Amino acid sequence: MIARLLTLLLAAATFAGAAHSAPEDEIQPVGVVAALTQDVVEIRSNFTGADFLVYGAVTGLTEGDDIVVVVRGPQEDLRVMRKIRTLGIWVNRAPVRFEDIYGYYAVASTRSLSQFATFSALRREAIGMEHLRLSAPETQREETRFGVGGVVVSELGAEVVDYRRAIVRNRARDGLYVESPGGVEIIDGGLFRAAVRLPPVTPVGEYALDIYLFRDGVPIASRRTTLEVRKAGMEQVIYDFAQRHSALYGLLAVALALISGWGAAEIFRRR
Amino acid sequence: MDIYLPIAEVSVNLFLVLGLGLGVGFLSGMFGVGGGFLMTPILIFIGIPPPVAVATQTNQIVASSASGALAHFRRKSLDIKMGLYLLAGGIAGSVAGVQLFAFLQATGQINLVISLCYVGFLGVIGGLMLVESVNALWRRYKLGKTGVTPRPKRRKRGLIDAMPFKVRFPVSGLYISLIPVIAIGAMVGILAALMGVGGGFIMVPAMIYVLRMPTSVVIGTSLFQILFVTALTTFLQAAQNQTVDLVLAALLIVGGVIGAQFGARAGQRIRAEELRIALALMVVAVCLKLAWDLVSDPADMFELMHVTGAVS
Repeated sequence: MIARLLTLLLAAATFAGAAHSAPEDEIQPVGVVAALTQDVVEIRSNFTGADFLVYGAVTGLTEGDDIVVVVRGPQEDLRVMRKIRTLGIWVNRAPVRFEDIYGYYAVASTRSLSQFATFSALRREAIGMEHLRLSAPETQREETRFGVGGVVVSELGAEVVDYRRAIVRNRARDGLYVESPGGVEIIDGGLFRAAVRLPPVTPVGEYALDIYLFRDGVPIASRRTTLEVRKAGMEQVIYDFAQRHSALYGLLAVALALISGWGAAEIFRRR
Repeated sequence: MDIYLPIAEVSVNLFLVLGLGLGVGFLSGMFGVGGGFLMTPILIFIGIPPPVAVATQTNQIVASSASGALAHFRRKSLDIKMGLYLLAGGIAGSVAGVQLFAFLQATGQINLVISLCYVGFLGVIGGLMLVESVNALWRRYKLGKTGVTPRPKRRKRGLIDAMPFKVRFPVSGLYISLIPVIAIGAMVGILAALMGVGGGFIMVPAMIYVLRMPTSVVIGTSLFQILFVTALTTFLQAAQNQTVDLVLAALLIVGGVIGAQFGARAGQRIRAEELRIALALMVVAVCLKLAWDLVSDPADMFELMHVTGAVS
């Protein structure tokens, strides 16, 4: 890891050197290089979460530029239900199905997003909890409003906002949705780093990391790297076995229980 | 020390789970109860997803009932014919229960149904145990040790005897209709699938008071039925819902099996009334906690659920 960090720093240094030798009035080309301290996070029996660093360099970084790191986990469909008191007890009602919701979503930036980025840029790139796409296609239809076609309207009306907030709140509680203004640190000469924390309940799958360079409110360069979270070792074996050979897994579970129950009784009887 | 459970997909403290297994195993050995009705809610309290808690606890009951069933089989203190009819009902109940479980899981109501079942059953059982053991203590206090326990009143000939499909059970000395037998078996099968319990706490009283079986064969026959029903339920939960966690099951089995042995020994020496009150209080406490969670304002008014493939 240290070797990789060094190579990257060297590369960044040569980049920066080349940039300096260019004439002052010429516009510097901008670019982002980035890497992770690990490409694969393995979930083993002692897994209690994971920490890693995103680091890299930006060429042509000038005063007032900002860097944003966005980590997007694997997507899945979610059913969100509202608790409604029925006959004195709280019952889950009014299900709304949301599609392609990130299992993990983290945004780290040099400053808080609204300080340097325009609303439309954040919305377009889906950066930040307020701009995260949380869509429930079954409750949506397109309408023409004020002469503008294709406006997406939810049949739930304003209530859909409560559902969306519930998703973000619930995920934030588990450490799955994180927003950290100031989480990206610019070290020197275009070098940056950001710490990312994966909680114990991190879903397995492919993660995409996007690093954006913002200038004058809009992203002018970006770079994507990927990360894989997977179960490993015995955890992997047991999980795959349970999913792929469910019947055999069930038989094994029963057999193990029978043997241990009977075996223990025999051992204690002889004592 | 934390250990990651591959199916439950959460980390739990290894010693906490082992300790709970030992504790509940000890109680179950001492009182001759399965322990499922205590362990499943406790697993849910410590953060295991309810479907995994229920299915995995069923697996643990296979282990804990295996040794007991074997012992009764050796002593021939069971009515195999009765056991087989109960089992027939149990198989139907278990299959239906696992389907019902999958359906409730898909519609997002499984947690509520599990909680409601527990509140109902724990409330009744805990309440009865408490009343019974307080009465026993009171009698001992009043009469000393000479008090003769009054026999429970036998039911008069009634509805059960009027039912058709009568079969002779030589071991139990009964000639009764199959309808209540199958019904009791089926009820226990459904409970095993929905609540992760063996169902002995329902079946033993039902055998004694409804079927009027002789007490000498009741425990053996109920263990026989519980062993096969929980084995089938474990298999079906694993095959259909993929909710049996082998790592969690292993921890529970180790704790439970060892605890039960010590519990059984302790039970022979210690006077049980006071402890029975303690057990009753624990059951009532678990019941009240579950009931409170149902009626108190939830921390979050919304709940997120994974969409399972079957229902869209």
